Parts: sequence; C-alpha cells; structure tokens
Amino acid sequence: MKNKLFKLLALCAIASMLLAACGGTAATQAPAEKVKVVIFVGMGTGTDPDQVDAQNALAEKYNSTHDNIEIEFLIVPHEEYATRYLAMLSGGNAPQLVGPNGISTVAEFFDTWEDVTPYIEAEKLDLSDFYGPAVELNTYPDKNTGLPLGLYPSYIYYNKDLFDAAGLDYPTHDFEDKSWNMDKLREYAMKLTVDKNGKNATDPDFDPENIVQYGYDDSWDGMRGTLADWGAENVGRPTTSDYKTAVADSPEWIQGLQWLSDGIWVDHFIGSAEVQAGRDSAGVDPFGPGTTGMFYSHTWFLAEGLHDLSFSADIAPFPYNPKGERIARIDADNFTIPKDAEHKQEAWEVMKWLTSPEIIVDVCRIYGCIPARKSVQDKFLEQLKADYPGIDYDVIFKSIDYLDKPNNEEWIPEWGKIEDALNNGLSLVYSGEEKDANKVLTDVNEEVQKILDEYWAAYP
Amino acid sequence: MNSSPRIGLARRESLWAYAFISPWILGFIIFTIGPMLASLFFSFTEYNIVDSPRWIGLTNYINLFRDELFWHSLGITFKYAIIALPLGLVFSYFIAVLLNQKITGINIWRTIYFLPSVIAGVAVALLWGRIFDPKFGILNPFLEQFGIKGPGWLADPQWAVPALVIMSLWSVGGNVIIYLAGLQGVPTELYDAAKVDGATAWQRFRHVTLPMTTPVIFYNLILGLIGTFQYFTEVYVLTNGTGNPARSTLFYNLYLYQNAFRYFHMGYASTMAWVLFLIVLVFTLLIFRSSDAWVYYEGQLRGR
Repeated sequence: MKNKLFKLLALCAIASMLLAACGGTAATQAPAEKVKVVIFVGMGTGTDPDQVDAQNALAEKYNSTHDNIEIEFLIVPHEEYATRYLAMLSGGNAPQLVGPNGISTVAEFFDTWEDVTPYIEAEKLDLSDFYGPAVELNTYPDKNTGLPLGLYPSYIYYNKDLFDAAGLDYPTHDFEDKSWNMDKLREYAMKLTVDKNGKNATDPDFDPENIVQYGYDDSWDGMRGTLADWGAENVGRPTTSDYKTAVADSPEWIQGLQWLSDGIWVDHFIGSAEVQAGRDSAGVDPFGPGTTGMFYSHTWFLAEGLHDLSFSADIAPFPYNPKGERIARIDADNFTIPKDAEHKQEAWEVMKWLTSPEIIVDVCRIYGCIPARKSVQDKFLEQLKADYPGIDYDVIFKSIDYLDKPNNEEWIPEWGKIEDALNNGLSLVYSGEEKDANKVLTDVNEEVQKILDEYWAAYP
Repeated sequence: MNSSPRIGLARRESLWAYAFISPWILGFIIFTIGPMLASLFFSFTEYNIVDSPRWIGLTNYINLFRDELFWHSLGITFKYAIIALPLGLVFSYFIAVLLNQKITGINIWRTIYFLPSVIAGVAVALLWGRIFDPKFGILNPFLEQFGIKGPGWLADPQWAVPALVIMSLWSVGGNVIIYLAGLQGVPTELYDAAKVDGATAWQRFRHVTLPMTTPVIFYNLILGLIGTFQYFTEVYVLTNGTGNPARSTLFYNLYLYQNAFRYFHMGYASTMAWVLFLIVLVFTLLIFRSSDAWVYYEGQLRGR
C-alpha cells in the first residue's frame, strides 16, 4: 500500500515539475517574443479562399518587415461571426483587431469597440487625406470606431445586351440629368421584363406567371437600404436624431415601399421572394445569369459578380427620387479594436498600417472597396481599369458625393431587433403577404416605437 | 468480527465504481449541471455577454409574457409540433410495419430507410431547400404532372411550416429502427393464439401488435416531443437565421437564439430556455401520467 502511495506521489511530483518547467520557459521567453495581433475576419467580406490567400500574403509582408508585432488573420465563417466573436469576448480571449467591418457590424457590436479618438489625438494623426464622408461614417457622438479603410458607393449595374435587345438607350451616366428618375427606371424595367413568349411587361398580353427576365433588382439590401434613397428627413434611419421616436412610416418611405410592392405585384418588373429563393438555392446572384436588366448594388459587387459574365455590362448612377434629389446609399469598411483587446496599442499600429497610403490599395483590392484615401485614387483607378475594363469608373467615384446621411446601416438603439422588425416588413412585401406599404410601415413603426420605448425605459 | 473486512471491501468497490464513472460525472457537472445553473442565474439578470450580468429579479419573466414575438414563436412551434409529431410517429410506425414483413431483400430496404437519418441536419436542410425551390426544385414539376400548381413552399408564409413538416418525415429512420425492434419483440405465440381464435390480420394488428408496441410508441413520443420543441438547425440554415418569410418560421429556439446572439439579451434568452424547459417538462409529465391508460408492459397488471 505504502509502495503504491509512494509511486503516486512520485508521479504527481514529476507532473508538477513538468508543468512548472513549461510555464517557466514561456515566462522567460515572453519579453523577447513579438506581440501577436490576431485580426478577426468574418464580419463581412474576407472569407473567400482567394481572399484568405491574399490576407496570408499580407500578413507575411507585415511580419517580415516588423520586429515587435506579428499579425495573424483569424478567418471565421461569416455565418458564425456573431457567436464566435461573442464567445471570444466572454472567454477573455478577445481578438486584437476586427475587420473588415461594415457600418452594420460596427453598429451590431457598437458597445464592444474601443474609441480610437485618444490614439488619433495622441499622435496628432492627420486625417485630411481620407475622404470626409469616410471619416464621418466612423464617427459617433461618443466614439470614433476606427480609421476608414474603404467605401462602397452604390449605383446601377446594367446588362447592355438586354438593353440592346429591348431597343432601349442605356441609362444616362450624366449625374446632372434629372430625367433619370424612378419613373424612368420603372419604364425601362418594365420594357426589360420579358415572359416566356417574349412579350415585355408593358404588353397587354404579357404573362406574369411565366417571367423569364426581370427588369430590376435590389433584393440584396434590407428595408433601410432599400428606402434610404427616397429622401425622408431621416434618410436611412428609422428614428429621429434623439433615437426616441420611430419614423419608419414617413411619407417617403411609404412611397418607396409602395413603388417596390407595385414593381413586384402590379408591374411585375421585380422578382418576388420566390424568385429570390430560386436564385439562392441555385447559388447565383441576381445579375450574373443575365436575366436581370438592372441590378442596384455596391462596389463590392465588382469583385463578387463582375467576373466571367457572358454579356456586356456597365454601371450608371442611381436615379433621382420623386423629390428631385439623388441619394445613393453607401457602405463603408474599417477595422475596429475591441475594448477587451489585450494589446490595443499594437492593434492601433496595425490599423494604421492597413490604412496607410502605402498599403491601402492592396488591402482594398482584397476586399473590393474604394480606398478611403484621396491620395491613392489614381493608383487605384489604374488597378480598376486593369481588373474591370470597359466600365465607367467616374460613376463609382462620383456616387460617393450622393451618400445617404444618416446612413442606412448606422447605429440605433437595439440595432438588431429594429433591423429584424424592418426586414420582416420587407419580407411581407416580397412574399406578397401584405402589398399595402402604408399598412406594412404603420405596423412596423408601431413595433419599432415599442422597442425604443422599452430601451429608453431600461436605459433612461 | 467478520463484518468489518466485508464493509471495507464494499466501500472499496464503491470507490472504484465512482472512480470509473467519474469522467461522466465530472462531464455532467461541468458541461450540463454547471451551464444549467448558470443559465438559471442569468435568467434573473440583464446580461449582454460583454459586461457583467446585472440582477433584475423577475423582470425577464414578466417581459417574456408581454412579448408578442414570444407568443408568436411559441405558436409556430406548437403548430409544427401538433402536425409533425403525430404525423412522424404514424409514418415511422407504418414504415416499420412494412419493414417487418418477411420479403426478399428486407435488409436492403431497412438500410435505405435508415440512411437519411445518418445525414447531418444541415445537409438535409440544404438538400430540401433545393427540392422545395419553386422554380428549379424537383417537387413542383413533379406536382405539375398531376395538374397541381405547387406553392412557393419555403418562400411562401402559408406553406413554409408545412414544407418543414414534410422535410421532417424524411429523417424518421431512427424512430423506424426503434419501432422495428419493438415489433420484433412481440411474442409470436400471441399471433398464433389470435389466429387460432380466428382473428383477421387487422384484428391481430389492432389487438396484439399495437398494444404490445405501446412502450416503444411511448418512448418515441417523449423523444419526439422534446425534439420538436428544440427544432432549430434546419430552420436556421434554410432562413439564414431570420425566421422569414414574414416570420412564418420564427420557431421558439430560433427566437431564443436571436435574443442571445443577435440582440445580445443573454439573460432574456436564458429565461426563454427555462420557460421552454418547463413547457416540455409539463407535457412530458402529462404524457407519463397518461401512459397508465394506454401503455402496456408485458407482465404488468393495469394500474400497477
């Protein structure tokens, strides 16, 4: 018995010595090691295999030129970003940097981000090279979430072959031409919508049950994005500026949603939820198969969808709204530092590097955004011309001037809950469950107001 | 004089027994009891995962019963359970009876019917997403052969839940295997006696097979009930976690997930988890209570 006890104690002693030895080695080497900055990728773009390779190459480039910091891109599947990020935070293992982050994911996890204002002020960092709107999109009343990386202005992608077949002029590229408005877009879209007999949606014999080609699509955006361009006082925000009153039932939003509803169910130039489901299950985007005349989307679609097309395509400005204003919603990306990150200063250094004039073009080419720095516009334009020949690049840069402000993705209280309430309204229209925009938005507004009231009751 | 060494031996054996099952006990405490107690605590707090939980007493429970989406999601879950659970039980029983026949190649048929059950829920969801596709799927063109215009299925708020019910029938292989084991355990002498008494095939099924397999029906009913109330993976995959179209597939667990990981109301989500636990517990107890009236165990006297 004593013998067994002795053996057991001896084993424990050896195990504890081994553990202590391991711990000691790590402790003594720590000061000599580089600080590792883990960059969490998955909140937005950055998870495609070619992007992963490009990011690894970027990491190698950084690590070979820096002695004190080492970067590593942690690639998380997009559908798991929320659970993985929150698990890392709650487990005390926060990443040092997160990105590329859209305005929406910045809003979604707003309370978790560090304010970078003190870092900017401490170094008196000159932000004048960044596009003004890009800086503004990251600046909130109580914090600046990060240095701008890129912008994703929006415009119409159009299929030139379908326009030619319909005998239509291409949409104007002249930003001053006010005849290019939502009525004109509807007119074009109806002529581009064709049934299996080849009749378009303006023809009395048109068969809406057997449509083979649609005129227009904006199905990749939510309610706020879809209606931000219609000129409501709060533009892309469903609340007043104090976030206390819901204004999702503004006349402009109702007009915009009714235009969409009629486009689906009366004029038939927009595909319904069924059409979208078909595309989703086939794994195709709305534009690529060549059965959509005009697709409203952002710059990121260049990288995602403008390759290997079997038809000619170009881009045109988004039309003027019925108030005679042009608003073209915008997305933007940045990198953010979690408040709980262990090495914030090092993360800030990496953020500066990723957005520096020397590297920002390379980074934006990975993610498909327009670099947020004015000084690299020409360099980037050359790159665009090589990557996407034949499109009107002016449309991309000029569209930035017409961005939505307040932005359609910006923070509001209970961001996720209100987004879901709004998008449920959009789903009602797309599915045909409710076609009256006034009814949809009145109900949605009531729900949003209730969410706001509960929020302010809890956080007076 | 002799009792002392015997007690020592018994104690030693007990210690060894505990030592052998300690990995399971530790796992149970750390990974089941621990999180359960933690979630019970969180259900009385406001907890956004990032900051420390703040005690708010019964507020989450009070708010839950005022939450329209809580009732909406509970209603959808009940609707699904009311259709899918009995349908699944009857369908799998029917298949098991068929697979219990003495025909050539029966083992191949049994394998074929069981195969879908070994496929992961995500893969099943993706597969059926394609099948239900109104434009490119195979189901609607099949229905068209009979002059039926198929609905939008998962894109149609009226048809989304029925589509999920149909999908659930595809994975009944697990139930079938259990039923099959039950069917094969029915003593053949009972059938022989019934035949001697002149019982028809239906009468033999009604008065021998069915009563003798009630314990496995009971077992599948309990597991099926728990499974339907925990329905999540398929709907999460098919709707990208939204519960659309028009919230028609916002199942209870999906709404719970949204509260936890999209709205960061982990305390509220914990409350939902405990309320769901209580609902399932009540229904399970009711079924257990009712089992005296309809579950027959061989050798058991009714009511004892």
